Amino acid sequence: MIEVNEKDLLRCPTCEAVNLDKGKENVCRRCASPIYKHKKFKTEKSWAYLITAIIAYIPANLYPMLITSQFGSREGSTIIGGVILLWEHGSYPIAAIIFFASIMIPIVKFLVLIYLLISVKYPIGKDSKVNKHKLYYMTEAIGPWSMIDVFVVAILMALIHLSNIEIIAGTAATAFALSVFFTLLAAHAFDESLIKENR
Amino acid sequence: MKIENEDVLDELVICPQCHTLHKEIPIKDGAKACCSECGRVMYRYDSRLAEHGLALSITALIFFAVANFFPLVKIELLGSEQFITIPKTILSLFDNGFYVVGMICAFLIFIFPLMIFSLYLLIFTLLKFGVREQLSKELLVLLSRLKPWSMSDIFLISILVALVKLIGYAQIHMGISFWALIVFVLLDIYLTRNIHISEIWMLRKRVFLPKNDKEVPA
Repeated sequence: MIEVNEKDLLRCPTCEAVNLDKGKENVCRRCASPIYKHKKFKTEKSWAYLITAIIAYIPANLYPMLITSQFGSREGSTIIGGVILLWEHGSYPIAAIIFFASIMIPIVKFLVLIYLLISVKYPIGKDSKVNKHKLYYMTEAIGPWSMIDVFVVAILMALIHLSNIEIIAGTAATAFALSVFFTLLAAHAFDESLIKENR
Repeated sequence: MKIENEDVLDELVICPQCHTLHKEIPIKDGAKACCSECGRVMYRYDSRLAEHGLALSITALIFFAVANFFPLVKIELLGSEQFITIPKTILSLFDNGFYVVGMICAFLIFIFPLMIFSLYLLIFTLLKFGVREQLSKELLVLLSRLKPWSMSDIFLISILVALVKLIGYAQIHMGISFWALIVFVLLDIYLTRNIHISEIWMLRKRVFLPKNDKEVPA
């Protein structure tokens, strides 16, 4: 017989099996993947990815995302410039989608991750009613959708390839894709079991 | 709470969304168990899970092949025609020197979706015939690692966004691939929503447990 405290039960992030928290090096009894390796550096990995993502997000907004070269003249538009242009042309739904995917989602995700990373270490918002598990689950679900803009640029570049009119991706495309990639890594590196410990 | 050994923990389940602890109860064939706190589906019981999974993954792979071989969209602009396929979209990124974006896109919309459905196919085949217990475990771990990195659904929405941007400038014709991609994405969503990875683990336990029991008394 083992005496088990219900609070000591962990959910394996890989296979979702319920596991006993044995303190140090937890290995899932079903799929054998580590549940969390670094007892000492719990949030550092996630912080590192997140900061990289935020740094990459700056050039993503400053450089042009899309360069249209038409009859010899080149014209670049940044992410926000593209949204404004679409709005002025009257394609409101597309402007809204791009705005949400490329501006809202990344910023909300940065803020939520920063909040989660700080709140698991310091007693900020300890008695607030925010369900952090749900918050994390939401960011995981909406995160990948910010890739829309990168895919749109890739499609337009492959499609509009004429002698007179050409669409080329800008520097921002690389920066933005990297930013999204690192935010996804940061979210995956975040250890959900820390939420429980500090609730 | 007292338990005898760690295997008893299999009777417990933690809700993936709100992390509430529940006790697993046997449910009817085809029924589902939802979390009492947040209402999210936690697990289902399907006695023919391996067959359903096999059927779905084979269908999805066929549609994925179609989606990659045929033109996605064709446009007519200033008298000349252009069409794209999924591989052509990725290659044009490489041609223009965007190697990083090209690599990311290649993995997210081609390699990972293909790998995920091949893994589903392999895992369900192994479980159907009840062979290679260790291999099925490793493949399942790989599958759950890859799962969040497939973005076919997002790519599909991106195609629509790109086309709406082109309305008024060019004539647009949808290709066979576009419809195949829609079917593939729908199958992907259906499979993700209806066959949870933890259910495959439960199936794996049901498949391999009787064999282990027989070995112990002998």
